[in-house]
Amino acid sequence: MALLKISALRKDFGGLRAVSDLSFELRKGEILGLIGPNGAGKTTVFNLITGFIPPTEGQVLLEGQSLIGLRPYAIVKKGIARTFQIVKPFRNLSVLENVTLATFLHEPSRSKAETKAMVTLRRVALAEKHAVNASDLTLGEQKRLEIARALATDPKILFLDEPMGGLNPTEVESACALVQRIRQDGITVILVEHHMKAIMAVSDRVIVLNYGVKIADGAPQDVVRNRDVISAYLGEQGP
Amino acid sequence: MKRLLVVAGIAFLLVAPLLTSNAFFQHLMIMVLFWTLLGASWNLLGGFAGQVSFGHATFLGIGAYTTMLFYLSLQLSPWLGMLAGGVFGALFALPIGLICFRLRGPYFSLATLAVAEIARLVALNWEQLTAGPVGLLITTLPQVSIAGHAINWESKIPFCYLAAGLTLFAMGLTYAVSRSRLGAYLTAVREDIDSAEAIGIDTVRTRVIALALSAFVVGLAGSFYALYFRYIDPDAVFAISLSVEMVFIAVVGGLATTAGPIVGAIVLVTISEIFRDRFAAGHLIFYGLFMMLVIRYLPEGIWGRLRLLLRLTRG
Repeated sequence: MALLKISALRKDFGGLRAVSDLSFELRKGEILGLIGPNGAGKTTVFNLITGFIPPTEGQVLLEGQSLIGLRPYAIVKKGIARTFQIVKPFRNLSVLENVTLATFLHEPSRSKAETKAMVTLRRVALAEKHAVNASDLTLGEQKRLEIARALATDPKILFLDEPMGGLNPTEVESACALVQRIRQDGITVILVEHHMKAIMAVSDRVIVLNYGVKIADGAPQDVVRNRDVISAYLGEQGP
Repeated sequence: MKRLLVVAGIAFLLVAPLLTSNAFFQHLMIMVLFWTLLGASWNLLGGFAGQVSFGHATFLGIGAYTTMLFYLSLQLSPWLGMLAGGVFGALFALPIGLICFRLRGPYFSLATLAVAEIARLVALNWEQLTAGPVGLLITTLPQVSIAGHAINWESKIPFCYLAAGLTLFAMGLTYAVSRSRLGAYLTAVREDIDSAEAIGIDTVRTRVIALALSAFVVGLAGSFYALYFRYIDPDAVFAISLSVEMVFIAVVGGLATTAGPIVGAIVLVTISEIFRDRFAAGHLIFYGLFMMLVIRYLPEGIWGRLRLLLRLTRG
């Protein structure tokens, strides 16, 4: 059985159909890449599944249970954590406090939560920065902090919204390694990313969206050769 | 150091009412405590959770009317009446919170302002219950004795102690919240609501709890107001100026600090008395000027800045 099953998901913003009858499944333990040109509706799909925006129609099932109508915090409790494309750290709090707040979800004691938070920070290589204010981190570090905070909620599925956007090549490489390690820890990952090289390297499967419609779903090397995908990115070939 | 300050403060509260027999200074002390109480309760929601309410007079009025009505109609003892004032404040906070917390930032603030105006208009027009603009009056308070001593309600001294007790309760509550998981969640809500939801915090419930706690304490303050002045009317206890003054106390003292409101209340009550004395009709102009200077040069508040300086000198 699929871990997460999305069927006929649709979202209308007034007259604009941002997501159109989208169906796909997420299998346990895989890394799924979600790509598409700007404005294709990738982030909207994230927001629909994680409860930040209610869908107009459609169904989202996590292990057979519907998530429709649940608020974001309740979906996190069920085991889906997310990061934001534009990082949203708790700016005036320390790195450790940022992650500790997320650890509180399953660990009410502060001292134990802080110990666990430090372990999570080590997973993303931010442990030595634990006392720094979140606003003083570099963008790359803030992206890792977002991931640490999401991991601290102990998710089954992790939604990463452009974790590599704006990073330099070395940082992209270590971000790819991080995503692989997260999967090895038993967490299923779905990521939106524009960095094609990274998504090709890290994904088991890729779904391509264009104008809210799924135009391809398959192994990365097949998807890049798909005619619809090429024309979505580059435009139609002339006669 | 911290503990010493707390002990010194409590000792001062115990002896201060006896130091002067001047009724004006006793009244001034009561007002400082009353405003500390209001500032501290506003701070629970406005400071820690960053939810700026411009309508906290709603709960002050509800507390005042609850105590007054229970006393006038059922002869309920003022102590129970006070508790009822707090409880009713908190009860009304629940639906208000569930509605207003659908809104964020300035929209929330505007909604609370509207709620306070609605409360004032209801109190003004529901004459069977509230006597409308005529207001409610208690002529005598009942005989109450503590440890065999009858309390002389005509003196201001019992009110000094009552206000001191309530203020200590509010500051204790603030301190407890700031150390708890609720306090941490409120901070998360203040920093970023989306991120707070994304780590599993029910941000509506968290904010409603903070509002209810805050409204409970403001309700107590309203009850105190009713007993101390023995006369209330809608324009007095539901006034926007009350709501705004609470914000000033918390901001001038220091947002999201335990001791901030007491500093804010001492400074603002003193300054407003001095300005009233010096500048007569123009005193509000100078009061406004003072507020502008504080907000411009001490955005973290007077106590907030002192605390920062203390930390810097230590480490």
